[in-house]
Amino acid sequence: MTAMTDPADLPEALGPEEATGILAQIRGSSAFWIGIVVIGLIIVFGLITPNNAYIKPSNLLNIGLNASQIMLIAVGMTFLIGAGHLDLSVGYNLILASVLGAKVMVGLAGSTTQVAAGEYPNLIPAVIAGALVAMLVGSLAGLLNGLLITRLKLNSFIVTLATSGIFYGFALILTSASNVPFVPDIIQTEFGSNRLFGFIPLPLMVTLAICAVMWVVMRTTRFGMRTLALGSSRESTIRSGIDIDRHTIRLFVLQGLMVGFAAVIDLARNAGTNVVGHQSDNLQAISAVVLGGTSLFGGIASIGGTLLGSLIPVMMANGLVIMNVQPFYQLVAVGIILIIAVYLDQRRRSRLS
Amino acid sequence: MGIAPAAAPPPPVRDPSVPAIRATGITKSYGHLQALRGADLVLRPGEVLALVGDNGAGKSTLTKILCGAVQADAGEVAYWGEPVKVQSIGHALELGVHTVYQDLALAPDLSVSDNLFLGREPVRSGIRGRLGMIDRDQMRDETRAALARLGINLRSLRVPVRNLSGGQRQALAVARSITWATTAVLMDEPTAALGPKQSAIVYDTVTNAAARGLAVLVISHDIPRMLHVADRIAVMRHGMVVAERPAASLKLTDVIGLMLGEEVSE
Repeated sequence: MTAMTDPADLPEALGPEEATGILAQIRGSSAFWIGIVVIGLIIVFGLITPNNAYIKPSNLLNIGLNASQIMLIAVGMTFLIGAGHLDLSVGYNLILASVLGAKVMVGLAGSTTQVAAGEYPNLIPAVIAGALVAMLVGSLAGLLNGLLITRLKLNSFIVTLATSGIFYGFALILTSASNVPFVPDIIQTEFGSNRLFGFIPLPLMVTLAICAVMWVVMRTTRFGMRTLALGSSRESTIRSGIDIDRHTIRLFVLQGLMVGFAAVIDLARNAGTNVVGHQSDNLQAISAVVLGGTSLFGGIASIGGTLLGSLIPVMMANGLVIMNVQPFYQLVAVGIILIIAVYLDQRRRSRLS
Repeated sequence: MGIAPAAAPPPPVRDPSVPAIRATGITKSYGHLQALRGADLVLRPGEVLALVGDNGAGKSTLTKILCGAVQADAGEVAYWGEPVKVQSIGHALELGVHTVYQDLALAPDLSVSDNLFLGREPVRSGIRGRLGMIDRDQMRDETRAALARLGINLRSLRVPVRNLSGGQRQALAVARSITWATTAVLMDEPTAALGPKQSAIVYDTVTNAAARGLAVLVISHDIPRMLHVADRIAVMRHGMVVAERPAASLKLTDVIGLMLGEEVSE
């Protein structure tokens, strides 16, 4: 507070309250601005792609499908960043979860000779068990992160950097760095590349349903409110009598579970594991969260913004491919947008405090 | 869910002649430094007690013992006549003793009503409550009522607390303590960072708290103001409470004399 403004001047101090109209509220939300960027991309690519191929509904749904895994991870990350934490291990957790899920799936589906011949006597129970194991492994990895951070009182950045290597190492040890063989194709045909009415991709529908639930959790529940309280002021949350260690552990388990969901979708879309991919899932998820208006300082979070932020890199890459341009320009563009988003967040923060 | 009651509980009816908190013969040393050497203090319900003294006289240490942040080496603290060994801040909260801190008291990104209820959020009825959905309408209604009782007027309870002025924030922190406290509210320099206009808002809430039957302890260097706001003044020197008088019977020069160690006739 400087002497230039009189903080005791109540009407002035409460100035932002005048922005109570719905329009003004929308204008103030970062999700609104990132929504403008998304619509702008649709219009620009729609106009410049040959035959306006970009804005065909099937192409837009493909964009959503390609963004669905990052959406799931980024929604979990929205809670973590909102609470002032980070998880760098998400991509490696995903690999480990999908490897163990696939191993269980293949192992239960039939004997080694049977599955090698493409016969799966216990197909349905094996697929269900494999999916559950992937979610469980994801959650347990999150639990490990949470326990290390709260019990050893270590920074989440360092802990998850370390567990990244641990998770990835275990995944490679278990598979000798090659993908799990003989994963049944049915998970791809029936789920991964299946479409409702031959139109809406099933993995995208499941993703959006899960994200809708998480939106409600963030906006209306005690868990969501305490998450943002923790990110906003750790000290005052402690003094309110909230067990912040327990809450932090739950947040990391939630992130792990979201990674588990993404692992199941990954298995289904590839009909197998992808042990060499996912190296940049963590950075993609974090940038989606920050693009969407969640503050890196914690305390402010937007699930809707995160979903839109997850779309932007995929939208650019898709458009560039259709235009026969190297899609790598997308990386440059997203990097620039990310810097702008972080700069605006920082400026907003310093102006407000 | 068995968390705290959603409504701000009125202070229970207790025998007003029994002190809300009575500290007797409290000692506390930090290594060779003797911060408290047998301090006695009485907080009565419905009264504002100002605790004054020079730096290092032991005011903050004594307050921290009453609110559970620090454990005494010796001595006894009784809450409503019952001797209790307070183990933690949480334990003191259970006894209805709330503390207002100078800083870090609020979550700046949360709304006014979210802050007032943080840690005690009421949930909706039925299945939505079981899912942990909180009742923000009820929170806003009760926040409005709680602030009105203390004469604090905010135009919107939905704004993040960081948009409030320093005085409003501090008043909200005081309001939160008063809303949930059932025994005493302890305040360590509640207006140190505030200008005169904002201090006035905070001291209004302080006197209102006492009017609601709470025992209020205020540590302050602003002695002229304390003579005005407080019912009684306790003066500390060298780790002991050397005098405790009705504020009305004291003048500024008397208090300063007591702080410096002069004898002042009653």
